[in-house]
Amino acid sequence: MSSAEFENIATLEDEFTESPEVTPERQVEMSAHDISIWFNKRKVLEGVNIEFPKRTVTALIGPSGCGKSTFLRTLNRLHELIPGAALAGEIRYEGKDIYAPEVDPVLIRLAIGMVFQKPNPFPSMTIRGNVLAGLKLSGMKRPNHDDIVEETLTAAGLWTEVKDRLNHEAGSLSGGQQQRLVIARALAVNPHVLLMDEPCSALDPASTLKVEETIRQLSKDITIIIVTHNMQQAVRVADYTAFFLAAEGEPGHIVEQGPTTDIFGNPQDQRTLDYVNGRFG
Amino acid sequence: MTTTLFDNSRVSELRLQQAALPWRRRTANFRVAVAIAVIVPPVIVGLLWFLTSIPKPILMLVIYLPLQLIASAIAAWSQRGTKAVLDSAIIVCAIGATIFSFVILISVLWSIVSNGVHALSWAFLFQNNVYISPSTPLGYGGVGNAILGTIMVVVIASLFAVPLGIATAVYITEVRGKAVPYVRFLVQAMSGVPSVVAGLFILTVFILTGVLQSSGFAAGLAYAILMLPTVARTAEEVLKLIPDDLRTGALALGSTRARVVMKVVLPAAKTGLITAAILGIARVVGETAPLLLTALSNDQTVLNPFNQPITALPAYIFSNVAQPYPDAVTRAWGAALVLVILVAILFTITRVLTAKRVRR
Repeated sequence: MSSAEFENIATLEDEFTESPEVTPERQVEMSAHDISIWFNKRKVLEGVNIEFPKRTVTALIGPSGCGKSTFLRTLNRLHELIPGAALAGEIRYEGKDIYAPEVDPVLIRLAIGMVFQKPNPFPSMTIRGNVLAGLKLSGMKRPNHDDIVEETLTAAGLWTEVKDRLNHEAGSLSGGQQQRLVIARALAVNPHVLLMDEPCSALDPASTLKVEETIRQLSKDITIIIVTHNMQQAVRVADYTAFFLAAEGEPGHIVEQGPTTDIFGNPQDQRTLDYVNGRFG
Repeated sequence: MTTTLFDNSRVSELRLQQAALPWRRRTANFRVAVAIAVIVPPVIVGLLWFLTSIPKPILMLVIYLPLQLIASAIAAWSQRGTKAVLDSAIIVCAIGATIFSFVILISVLWSIVSNGVHALSWAFLFQNNVYISPSTPLGYGGVGNAILGTIMVVVIASLFAVPLGIATAVYITEVRGKAVPYVRFLVQAMSGVPSVVAGLFILTVFILTGVLQSSGFAAGLAYAILMLPTVARTAEEVLKLIPDDLRTGALALGSTRARVVMKVVLPAAKTGLITAAILGIARVVGETAPLLLTALSNDQTVLNPFNQPITALPAYIFSNVAQPYPDAVTRAWGAALVLVILVAILFTITRVLTAKRVRR
């Protein structure tokens, strides 16, 4: 998708009232249209257009400070909680603008889960309590809690390590285990999209592999968008890749996006070629 | 700079110097100098203390302190040169100031314990004050009613001040509304309210208008006014320590802001909030003025907080300490001791609870 397709808000709204274009072989789960982001007066991201097809993994790569994580946080409306944060453009989830006035951000965050860079289990809860925290916090009703705990912990690659101490404090786990615990926690509310902000940066190689396996497995059912600094990881897990870049003192933007094989194997832009080959960033 | 840092010859040269003269080595000379500096001045002053009639405070301040400073300075100079002289002076002053504050604290405690311990007995702890006049000998009557009164007033105050204080802290740290600077300013201003003003406020607004009687409840309200700012400010500090990651983590699970506070932030801060409540109680438990204006006094044991005056420990102390009978004064000291013990118990609980929190 090129930015020329979306020149101004008016055309966007026209399209929005019509039925969203859906091709049967490549259904779009989420899409961003001409997104710009500010912190107070500082513009950190400009003119981002990207589509996230259903049941695929998309990796957002790029050097630190280019706005990848900020962009990720706009996808489930966490960005707006930061004082001074502002946004222009449109984020669509299942064809609808998630920033429309009638949309409840709480429901958006329930459908679009997130895993953070640092593991953040709730210290006042047990391991089991943490996995089920999403149900408790969102008021979502799901039967068979024991099955949910086993399923999600297995999916996150943690079940065998913790099955005998589900009632221990979450704080007793190691950092890598905590990260897999919060992945299980995010899965327990059955999200349609999972945002992952450098989920493996606190993990050892073995745990990283487990999480990557989990990501591949999950992508059969849900759409995953992952920010990563690890190129090999992007190659291993992502179907699509978008390369973000910010020039000195200027807002970040997408330099190149497309199937991961193209970005890494046959990049069109010299900067992409340099970055994926580790020549800068 | 960096080149010399990584210059191997320079490093080995330094190592050689260190091997020749380790900076921490304490020679016999050094130990002797320190021993002289530590022992000689106290011995001289000790002799003067017992052999002359110089007033003790003058002895300590005018003779001992300069003597100790000079002795330490000489010892330091003889071992380490001129730069160590100032160092030794600061050490002497710091130790002196520490001892000075300890002496004051211990003397206050000692006067309460030594004067109050004679009044202590089971009767004193559990009996009330009915039929007891100031001239009744010790062994009859006691502070049982006043202990109950203090507990009642403090519990009533906590029922109001703890939820309100935590709610204020939640508004400041979690809701982060537009009025936060004003609320914080008001809480700070409230912490400066003299206790007598809190008592007068309850007296004029509730008691003189006939809404409430002089009672434990009225005193509890006055205490709550004094407790609120302490609880609110401590709770605010505690909630600020909860990492934002937990809040965003909960929000990302589709939680409402209210549930984030109720199910994640407050449980994570539980022990700290208990500390806030206990600090608030310790702040008010000895306040006398509000009691005199709102609860008056009552020699009987009162269990109903609404319909009659009530005595709490500070008011008991106040009414007994001014009596011309030695036994009444001893009772006042005894009540003061009981109050100190109550506060000590509270602080011990706080210590135990906060010690558990370290592991997170």
